[in-house]
Amino acid sequence: MRRAPAVVVASAAGLAGIVAMHAGSAPSVLGGAGPAAPASPSPTATNPPSTTGAATTAVGTSEQYGYGTLAVKVTVRGSRITDVSVARLQTAEQYSQSLAQQVIPLLRNEVLSAQSAHINGISGATYTSEAYAYSAQSALDLLGVK
Amino acid sequence: MASLTFDPTYTPHGATHGRQSVISRPGAVPRPVIAEVATILAGLGFGACIGLAVTAESWKQLEAPGGVAMFLGNLTGLAGTYLALIMVLLVSRVPVVERVLGQDKLLASHRRLAPWPISLIVAHALLLTFAYAEAARTGVWHQIGAFIRSYPDMLTATIALVVMVAIAVTSVYSIRRRLRRETWWAVHLFMYLALALAFAHEIALGPSFVGHPLTRFVWSVLWASTAGLVLVYRFGLPFFRTFRHRLEVVEVHPEGPGTVSVVCRGNHLDRLAVAGGQFLEWRFLTKGMWWQAHPFSLSARPRPPFLRITVKGIGDYSSAVARLRPGTRVAIEGPYGAFTTHARRHSKVALIAGGIGVTAIRSLLEDLPRNCDPVVILRASSTEELILGSEVAELVRHRKGRVHELVGSRSEVRIDRLSELVPDLRNRDVYVSGPEGFVDQIVATVLQLGVPKDSVHFEVYSL
Repeated sequence: MRRAPAVVVASAAGLAGIVAMHAGSAPSVLGGAGPAAPASPSPTATNPPSTTGAATTAVGTSEQYGYGTLAVKVTVRGSRITDVSVARLQTAEQYSQSLAQQVIPLLRNEVLSAQSAHINGISGATYTSEAYAYSAQSALDLLGVK
Repeated sequence: MASLTFDPTYTPHGATHGRQSVISRPGAVPRPVIAEVATILAGLGFGACIGLAVTAESWKQLEAPGGVAMFLGNLTGLAGTYLALIMVLLVSRVPVVERVLGQDKLLASHRRLAPWPISLIVAHALLLTFAYAEAARTGVWHQIGAFIRSYPDMLTATIALVVMVAIAVTSVYSIRRRLRRETWWAVHLFMYLALALAFAHEIALGPSFVGHPLTRFVWSVLWASTAGLVLVYRFGLPFFRTFRHRLEVVEVHPEGPGTVSVVCRGNHLDRLAVAGGQFLEWRFLTKGMWWQAHPFSLSARPRPPFLRITVKGIGDYSSAVARLRPGTRVAIEGPYGAFTTHARRHSKVALIAGGIGVTAIRSLLEDLPRNCDPVVILRASSTEELILGSEVAELVRHRKGRVHELVGSRSEVRIDRLSELVPDLRNRDVYVSGPEGFVDQIVATVLQLGVPKDSVHFEVYSL
């Protein structure tokens, strides 16, 4: 093919372009992990932050992570995260369900001790951890915190 | 031998000869840079797809069970689907590209590229089934069931995959050979449906798309645009031209052994932009022929309201053409082809035709200016088979050129013979037209004689 060199060079340029665009965007939500996906997820199910006393809560976006869907509710008092709970969990099959139930308490602890959605995640539950972190971050964004 | 309607004698463009005037409307000039731009864009897109797959990954994900297979599954899905998009674009008959590359070259590229998207997409399905099964610690069969039952749009995606594999299988040469052309073609058209069915699962499940509205948007625009181009140029424009010109057969007369000319009458033929050497796809709307479209070159410039093609009777279809009855309507697609005088780099040309290949050469000649000294070589097995020979001779005479008729058994046109006949071959654009074996041989010879590749143009008449 006569134009083969041009195609190869253009492909390399396309690849480099996407990688460069990606590296220049938001840092990974999972601290320490390799390149993670950029751009905030589009908000789907959201509640307006309710104001009861000084505590406000918001439900983050429903994150579809391949094995299911996860949405997290974050409670904030002032600028401090006081609670994280699961607003919605739907898994594709049994294994994902039991895995999620196992790791969610651990993920909750991580968010509370890090006081942000920038958590390490639990190995062996990578996608669940990511979905949890993204959803928590979007809830924090809605609350205008961190 | 002479036509009652079509008067193919030499007439200066624009003048009136008898009842007919030859109006020259060669159409827009092809811009070769478009082919280069299109190629670069295609490459950029491909690289971007690889980039999307790579940037959607993280080391943690690769280390998880099934992680590597998951990554490869995503990569093959993106790359394979992108190449499928290119496949569709290659045969979408967009005029600016088709004018430069020619429908025959585009089809050849389409056929050559074909194994890649289908292999990548099949690999994608296998890899992801394995990966998800690994991660969920279930068996592969159970995973397939889970995909189809619980994941959005996976049922349609699976149907799409089955259709694609069926199309691929029927296109394997040994199987395609055994099928009737219409059967193979009808199956092949389902590819549009398969691609449409698969779209939803890409957007709903692809890690590069979930949560990435910009990427989703670009991918959607890409596919919507491709669909639009196909609707307009592959289907819309041919329909429009068919109804605008309303061609119908008026006369079928013999030109030589087993060869006939078909003259068609149509409306607004002065508005049909066609260059000498181009062809149309002809669909004669009569019993036994309406489901097939075959490419035939015009064997002369249109003389409104008449068009002429000259067909050699090989195979059932071509023989049926000889029996066409006047009044038969015709549906057309085109004109297509880059085998025109626009492709020239030099002002002088050498035209080499084998057998029925003379039809394209004959109409190409009419586009050449006076006194341009063309050299024409006509090759045939016998003198009767030198169809349209007198027309060619007259056209060449008016252009102060010369014709060489090489008649005889299927002996090779040897290197020394060719350079004897055309000593200044290297300063000419060479046009070769005829059956595949003939074209391959002549083109190889011409390249060996030092004619640069860009100056060699060919049109293969497949039987």
